[in-house]
Amino acid sequence: MLVTWKYRPRDTFIQRLDPRTRLIYMLCIIFALTLPDIWDYRIIFPLFLISLTLYLLARIEWKDVKRVWLFVGVFVFFIVGLNGVLSGRGGPGSVTNMFSPTLFNLPLKIPFTDIGWDVPITVAKLWFAIIQIARMLTMAILALPIPYTMNPNIYGTAFKRMGASDKISFTMDLAFRFLPTFGRDFMITVDAQRARGYEVDRLKGGVTERIRRLSPLIVPVVMQSTVTGEEVIDAMDLRAFGTAPRTWLKELQYAPRDYAMIGLGVAIFIACCVLKWGFGIGGFFVPDFFTNLLIG
Amino acid sequence: MNDKSTWEFGTRQVVYGAIGAALYGVLSLATNYFPLPAAGNVTFRPAVAVLIFFGAAYGPWVGLLAGFIGNTLGDAAMGWGFYWNWSLGNGLMGLVAGLAMPLIKDFKARGDIIKAVGYGILGIAVGMLFASVTEKFIGGLDWNTALVGYFTPAFLGNLVVTVILLPILMIAFAAVVARRGR
Repeated sequence: MLVTWKYRPRDTFIQRLDPRTRLIYMLCIIFALTLPDIWDYRIIFPLFLISLTLYLLARIEWKDVKRVWLFVGVFVFFIVGLNGVLSGRGGPGSVTNMFSPTLFNLPLKIPFTDIGWDVPITVAKLWFAIIQIARMLTMAILALPIPYTMNPNIYGTAFKRMGASDKISFTMDLAFRFLPTFGRDFMITVDAQRARGYEVDRLKGGVTERIRRLSPLIVPVVMQSTVTGEEVIDAMDLRAFGTAPRTWLKELQYAPRDYAMIGLGVAIFIACCVLKWGFGIGGFFVPDFFTNLLIG
Repeated sequence: MNDKSTWEFGTRQVVYGAIGAALYGVLSLATNYFPLPAAGNVTFRPAVAVLIFFGAAYGPWVGLLAGFIGNTLGDAAMGWGFYWNWSLGNGLMGLVAGLAMPLIKDFKARGDIIKAVGYGILGIAVGMLFASVTEKFIGGLDWNTALVGYFTPAFLGNLVVTVILLPILMIAFAAVVARRGR
């Protein structure tokens, strides 16, 4: 059974936008931050506010997204944020290479041994963690509302009208549609294995043993998906998929608001490229106010 | 299930490319919680074994699509953004692993499993080397960071996962093929 995203029609600005507009705008922001490698808070914070505004304009109910936000929150704040503070890696090399005052040394030890080392927590690492979190959220909160606010029936049409071939459009369409199905299958498998006494949270043994013990979670989902695939292929073959160019039921039309949003996205992308490559603005640095705030 | 036309791109490749991408995206999301040591934005992904499996079972196009789209979906959903070189690296990983498809006749035969694992390791090397070396030019890294900080942990992590999980997936798949008869 194909599970759908929690899509619901809402009379909001975001849902009135053409789906292509939303995908193009999101790509513009992602490329604007990643291609010229932007790490400057003067660029990232305003873009974060725009993304947050667009997210709030989608008016998605909290009960629908609270689990997703918990997932994103744990990942972004604890995993990435903590990794940034401790290692300073995952971004520009200047975070670890630049001179920066040390706030304190964090002693880390390998459990049950005397082997350990002091990890210096610097002002630069702390600022990098904040910037990294804001940068990731700027992109994530543009992608996050899509399943809840974009009609699953127009995924394929959107990619086709953006210039992709029928087969690639259908691949994208099916991939988007299968995501929630497999997500649900995975969770059901986790619950079923738990009911049989499998301890998901307490995988024992070394790395090899832990990986091997993941197989009761992964194998059933993958094998079920291969069976599902055969049924989908039969259904598509019966409809003569791939024998001739397809027609697409849904027609998409750009409205003036779509041109405005695409224009904004393209302008942001061009501005980031020009600032970084033309004027050298946009790289990572620690602002004086942050250093003064921490060390006086 | 195993069509031997290696470079054919028809309904089967469209469907399994999409399924592989969705699975790789979902399982990557579920396992994105394990950042590899020494590489800040490279995560430990047991899902790589699934990508290699889809390549070996359904061919290079499926591997390419599953790797490229799956990595893009997983990264976009977690807010990593779109890193075309890592997505393409993942795609190459699946594509090279998919070159094993015409060589595999029995998914539970030891020799065929070794071939699939061998091509999988080659795919991991090619894909991760491509992503790490392009990161040198895109992210302005030095060779040492690109090769030691990115390629080595990504390669070793994916290799361990593939060597352990791919044979298990192939043996399970052999039973599915036998039951369905195609």
